Amino acid sequence: MSESRFASAFLLPGALWLLLLFVVPVGFVLALSFGYTDDLGEAFYGTRLDNYERVFDPAFVPVLLRSVGFALATVVLCLLIGYPVAYYIAIFGGRWKNVLIALVVLPFFVNYLIRTYAWIAMLGDDGLVNGVLNSDIRFLNTPWAVIGGLVYGFLVFMILPIFAALDRMDPSLIEAGKDLYGSPWQTFRNVTLPHTIQGVLAGSVLVFLPAVGDFVSASMLGGPEEVMVGNLIQQQFLASDNWPFGAALTSVMMLFLLVWMVLYLRAAAREAREAPA
Amino acid sequence: MSVDVARSPTTTRAEAPGAPSRPPKEFDRPRFLKLFTGVFFLFLFAPIVLVVLFSFNSSRSLQDFEGFSLRWYEQFFESESLRDSLIASIEIALITMLIATVLGTMLAYGLVRARTRWSDSFNVLMLIPLVTPEIVAGVSALLLFTQVGLELSVTTIVLAHITFSISYVTVVVRARLASLSLEVEEASMDLGATRWQTFRLVTLPALWPAVLAAGLLVFALSFDDFVLSFFTTGESPQPLPVRIWTQIRFGVRPTINAIGSFMLVVSVLSIGLALLIPRLFGRRESGLKVLLGREGA
Amino acid sequence: MSENSPAIRFEGVTKRFGDFVAVDSLDLEIKSGEFFSLLGPSGCGKTTTLRMVAGFEQPSEGRIFLEGEPVETVPPYRRNVNTVFQSYALFEHLSIEDNVAFGLKRRKVEKDEIRRRVAEALELVELHGRGGVRPRELSGGQKQRVALARALVNRPSVLLLDEPLGALDLKLRKQMQVELKGIQREVGITFLYVTHDQEEALAMSDRIAVMDRGLIRQCGTPEDIYEHPTEPFVAGFIGVSNLLPGVCENGGVRLAGGAVCEARVPADCTSGAEVQLSVRPEKIAIDEEIGEGMVTVEGTIVERVYVGTSTQVIVELAAGVRLMALEQNWLRARSDDRWEIGDRVKLGWQPEHALVLR
Repeated sequence: MSESRFASAFLLPGALWLLLLFVVPVGFVLALSFGYTDDLGEAFYGTRLDNYERVFDPAFVPVLLRSVGFALATVVLCLLIGYPVAYYIAIFGGRWKNVLIALVVLPFFVNYLIRTYAWIAMLGDDGLVNGVLNSDIRFLNTPWAVIGGLVYGFLVFMILPIFAALDRMDPSLIEAGKDLYGSPWQTFRNVTLPHTIQGVLAGSVLVFLPAVGDFVSASMLGGPEEVMVGNLIQQQFLASDNWPFGAALTSVMMLFLLVWMVLYLRAAAREAREAPA
Repeated sequence: MSVDVARSPTTTRAEAPGAPSRPPKEFDRPRFLKLFTGVFFLFLFAPIVLVVLFSFNSSRSLQDFEGFSLRWYEQFFESESLRDSLIASIEIALITMLIATVLGTMLAYGLVRARTRWSDSFNVLMLIPLVTPEIVAGVSALLLFTQVGLELSVTTIVLAHITFSISYVTVVVRARLASLSLEVEEASMDLGATRWQTFRLVTLPALWPAVLAAGLLVFALSFDDFVLSFFTTGESPQPLPVRIWTQIRFGVRPTINAIGSFMLVVSVLSIGLALLIPRLFGRRESGLKVLLGREGA
Repeated sequence: MSENSPAIRFEGVTKRFGDFVAVDSLDLEIKSGEFFSLLGPSGCGKTTTLRMVAGFEQPSEGRIFLEGEPVETVPPYRRNVNTVFQSYALFEHLSIEDNVAFGLKRRKVEKDEIRRRVAEALELVELHGRGGVRPRELSGGQKQRVALARALVNRPSVLLLDEPLGALDLKLRKQMQVELKGIQREVGITFLYVTHDQEEALAMSDRIAVMDRGLIRQCGTPEDIYEHPTEPFVAGFIGVSNLLPGVCENGGVRLAGGAVCEARVPADCTSGAEVQLSVRPEKIAIDEEIGEGMVTVEGTIVERVYVGTSTQVIVELAAGVRLMALEQNWLRARSDDRWEIGDRVKLGWQPEHALVLR
């Protein structure tokens, strides 16, 4: 048996599974988005564009925009917080590098729900902070609470790629940069940043994608004014039973994210090809 | 963007050139960074510490710690339905781990060794689940099961989890596999082993730390998963994260602290093992690197 | 298996990778018990040829015969050949003993016999007693011996060696060359050896095939190849040679710059044809050393290089036409004893030592 045939036989089961249980279902979602529901709430496939029109209805557009906005804010905050931390650990961590990065990762193995719930416990009206300060500050049900929840939820996906990129960098490059550029900021801008840009991009995509579709943070930490597209979708499928509309929302979100997915995959493939032996 | 900095190693350093773990002394206000990182860790761990701490609180309050008690853990383990959920979560995670590991490892082998026109497409196919938002995954899985007429249950959760775990396994295993030289496999065949024997006797033994690490990673991810389970779960038993969601929606309950802390221990143990095992078996790279492999560039 | 059939026979073997022709219509016979080398620069197709014998590549055209039997349908694990790889390709998760025993176990040889033959093989490569060790604890040279033992223990009809000494340092390499040759003689197995190091090939081989860009340029014994290269490429690749471009002219070669050398011009060389005159530096005599009947030329010394055992004297016959002569330093210890840069000298060589090549 030739090598290719043998290896292809290995490849088939997994590939088939992914095709049947991933690609095909996503196809179903796309197909259903053109469908409709009858009076009893049953969903049917069709060829209507009603659902898409509804998606872009003035009632829902703010939700879409808000989702993108929140996700962008999340990415920016994750970058501002995550880069310095990754930098400190990678460059100044020394012997403790691995321990520190493990400590960064550790909290993310507390369930996402629990972590978000912990913020409720801390910032709620009856929460710890208000209790300690004996105050009545309204932290929750605000946009920043939701963004905060998102940041807390996905920060690790920003830190790890940047850390990996910084860690892979040859430290003598920074040394040489200091000689050339004098100021630390210049060195960072002209040496460190370009070398870690792949990590920054990867982290940004890995935060942006899940953040756009998230509904947990908005649900637990936000109010009606903070509803995101994820909440809408969830409602259509599990509460209001309007699956075609939910499918349309999902499709629009998917298509929007597809652009970023393709860019990320292209960049990852390029990096894989150029990776040093 | 090329920076010809690498061509001008004009600095002389007291330490040997290959000593990356000594931090460069005169640089960039490390004190600020240090402070920043310290505050960061504070905020990072504060909620966790809170959850764990208050899981032992003798009262319901989230503001005052009134004494050490295990009552919330008792409540957790004494509740039959919560116990069922815990068992369901573990079962789901175990089955997912077993099947996803096998399929993912085989897929990794196929991707690295098969040289067909379809290789690139399969590669993309494998990567897509990694960057797909969970809600899309949940919705499409739900739709699939409904179409096919499969009633939502632990089975549907397992099927959905496997689908999204395969890629994690493939990425981790592939990184390791790519570093195994083809010549070793050729040597094996040269000496009389068939392709299957070669895989069994030569490739797999070299591969298994990565396979195991990937498996444990999948276990932790499945055990912790919420969104996917939320869309594909039946009435009962529901996995723990889904139960937590319902409990939180109905108000804050201290038992959640206990459940969360317990889940934390389970997840940390699996990830800890996943990181340690490659190290224990004499691999040069740390487990973290094995796992980080390709992911996150 | 007939007694008279060659160990390996190539019949019109061509291998293409897409548009690139790695091996071009190869016809070759390798005799049983021979130490045969495929010699050539990187990319000449020697490794591809070896891999086709092993079974890791299939010829695009042509056939390969092992001991008279065609092997197109025979997978590598069923061929009676074994390979020693440049990277050793040892099984890191197995001990040395288990590595060496691997092939025997696949063939379901009896346990006792396995133990005996493994011990024999390890003794042959002088690693007796280290069987329980893992590959990572060994040095490069030791790993190479394990690879050799692992291949030889199966008593293949042909042993394939793919630049096995490439990763070793010079001293170790020389030592291993001697050992390998000794083992081959002792064991009597046909060796097909691939290398780009012409000294190595000359030292070890019974016969050499010099390859370039997929073709065999010349095939013969080391003396044949060295003393009678049939092509400029071979003359230039094997050892050091002076290659002087020139034009055929009744019974000699007119070099660029005017000098005419008497030389043995091959019959099919017409007057005016462009040729290369090839003379080995060690065959050139300088001034007083010039003997009777030698062909002579004159030139100016432009460079002298002391290389320990000899001195290289570079002489310019005319603008851009340079010859290197080699003088053994058995009479003197300093190069400036005799040769001054700028001196006019006469060089000479026996007419049969100059080859006219095209």
